Amino acid sequence: MNQVAIPLIVFLVETVNFIGGLGLLSHQVFRETFSGKIYWRLISEQIYQVGYRSLPLILITSGSIGMVMSLQFGLGLEKFGGKLYVPKLVAATFLREMGPMFTSLMLAARVGAGIASEIGSMVVTQQIDAIRALGTSPIKKIVIPRVIACLVVLPILATLSNIVGNFGGLIVGATELNLDPNFYYLKIMATASLEDYLSGFGKTFFFANFISLPACYFGLNVQNGAKEVGIATTKAVVVSSIMILIGDFFLSKVFWMIAKWV
Amino acid sequence: MIEVIEFKKSFGTKQVHRGVTFEVKKGECLGLIGGSGTGKSVILRSLIGLEKPDSGKILIDKVDITKMNERELLEIRKKVAYAFQNGALFDSMTVFENLAYPLREHFHLSEKEIKGRVHDQLADFGLEGNEHVYPGNLSGGMQKRVGLVRAMMMSPQVILYDEPTAGLDPFNTKKIQDLILRLKSRGVTSILVTHDMPTANAVCDKMAMLSHGRIEAQGNMSELNQDGRGAIAKFISGEEF
Repeated sequence: MNQVAIPLIVFLVETVNFIGGLGLLSHQVFRETFSGKIYWRLISEQIYQVGYRSLPLILITSGSIGMVMSLQFGLGLEKFGGKLYVPKLVAATFLREMGPMFTSLMLAARVGAGIASEIGSMVVTQQIDAIRALGTSPIKKIVIPRVIACLVVLPILATLSNIVGNFGGLIVGATELNLDPNFYYLKIMATASLEDYLSGFGKTFFFANFISLPACYFGLNVQNGAKEVGIATTKAVVVSSIMILIGDFFLSKVFWMIAKWV
Repeated sequence: MIEVIEFKKSFGTKQVHRGVTFEVKKGECLGLIGGSGTGKSVILRSLIGLEKPDSGKILIDKVDITKMNERELLEIRKKVAYAFQNGALFDSMTVFENLAYPLREHFHLSEKEIKGRVHDQLADFGLEGNEHVYPGNLSGGMQKRVGLVRAMMMSPQVILYDEPTAGLDPFNTKKIQDLILRLKSRGVTSILVTHDMPTANAVCDKMAMLSHGRIEAQGNMSELNQDGRGAIAKFISGEEF
């Protein structure tokens, strides 16, 4: 009994701690973003780190996913004579779901892990204490630049991912499914709507917070040396990914309701 | 200048401080000694608000800092500096950038003025030529010295030293002692947490020994040196007390 109960209680306590801690951190970030000095140089450095350096990863994965989707849809629909619907399916799925979600998951893995381990190491080597001891705020110097960078970069990366993913689909459509590239392109343009794009684009602002805030939270809460840095890094990636995947469902529903209402 | 009154602090079920009380007057240097794990560094960290006591008061210039929030503490941290045991230098910044950090944050100085001040301090403490070196490429002793210089860049009224000579060779120990003495001669109040008794003897005006969660003994150096059977004498000679 105890073997089940104790880990369950520990898990529940940790979850409540995490939710409370994340709430407090979000409140501090919000409050300090709109008061006092803004470190533009640190924000631009983080935009470079988070955005530019993630670009190859995002472009390669998006291109590959677009190609795979096109191939799978094509082979599946060919049996029913529905190959011509591949451009529409790939475009709509990419714009609404795959582009923003895969970009976010990739960023959670690359950037979330990086943020948690970097901040965790700074805690272990007392650099976060030093920031405080020198009369400055680690929220302003460390957390806010990373949160803003993710908020700026993720929508841009998701948009690029949409373009590259559809381009990957077009290449496979032309080479493997014998679809005319011009037809494929025109079909995308004719069927993909602004609503599809905005529904995916809107989610990225939430996903940016799901990546940066848990990563900063776990990094700042490292206490006992190098081993905990590794644990914090793993937790950051796992929690961010879960938040993105679960959040995606609810956000899809919300955006669908908004679209219906508008 | 600094008063610690009935300071109590626990970690989990372990009560580390059971009512620590001491006072440091302006310009004085207090040596805080005691065995490992007696909570000396916790007191030091609490004096700058990095830790909060469970109860008790910490008065700096008669103002209790234990009730202050993080924003109010920023002002205290401009006049009370903390020299970390390992320097705690920002590893993504060069020595120059580390020293320029407090100046850029708290003073409206031109880049030329910042450069001038940093170069002056580096030359003053024999660290010139290391401006563009990253902390990872400095020796432990150099890191500690740069950490000390960074702590005093804002000309604080109080400096808290956390084991500044731990693990250093006699040459670097002497350099750190000289540095502390120079700051003391400028009227800076200081608290020195250390196990290094020669350094404590060289720089401290008085000593307080932390044991069993309380200040077991305190007094000025001549009093303590005369009391050969006291707790501090026993601590120094490695006897049980």
